[in-house]
Amino acid sequence: MTRNLTRNMARIIAPVLFASLGAFAAGPAMAQDSVISAAKAAGTVGEQADGYLGTKGTVSADVRGAVDALNIKRRAAYTDLAAKRSGVTVADMAAATGCQTLKSRVSQGQIYRLNGGEWQVKGAGAISLPDYCATAGG
Amino acid sequence: MNHRRSAWPKVPTVMMLPMIGALTGCIQVRAPDKPIEINLNVKIQQEVIVRLEQDAKQLIDNNPELFPE
Repeated sequence: MTRNLTRNMARIIAPVLFASLGAFAAGPAMAQDSVISAAKAAGTVGEQADGYLGTKGTVSADVRGAVDALNIKRRAAYTDLAAKRSGVTVADMAAATGCQTLKSRVSQGQIYRLNGGEWQVKGAGAISLPDYCATAGG
Repeated sequence: MNHRRSAWPKVPTVMMLPMIGALTGCIQVRAPDKPIEINLNVKIQQEVIVRLEQDAKQLIDNNPELFPE
């Protein structure tokens, strides 16, 4: 009886343990993205033409941390790509990515910001991109 | 005679300009002092941007976790 009980307990606990381990491993990245997604939906975080995420007004420490962490990862990626092309600066690579994020990563109702501009809410139409974007107007 | 004299001033000035031009003779072509420069920078710049945006697109597609929606 006792043996049966422990066996049953093990049967119950093992999957839970594995599931929580999996959640722990995937946790930080998932949590960061969901924090940012929620903040984007709430209109406190948005894409910028410079290729990075920005915050509007005061945001919680969680959101601030997630945005900073993601921007650091983006910068690393831009740096890698820029290094592969001669004469291309990290800022160039970031701006080119900004053209793409403004084009494809901002949903209607979310906020975005052009260079040196104010935060704007995306309407039904496409964002009018900066002139230097290859996809400008398209 | 009277009829002819009254008609002459009605010839439009525009029609008279080529006639005057014809009197001055041939057209002169002079080579410029400086070499002719053709600016290709604009096109090259545009090609760089197009290529960079292709890189950017791949970056976004391959690393969706860096670009959450």
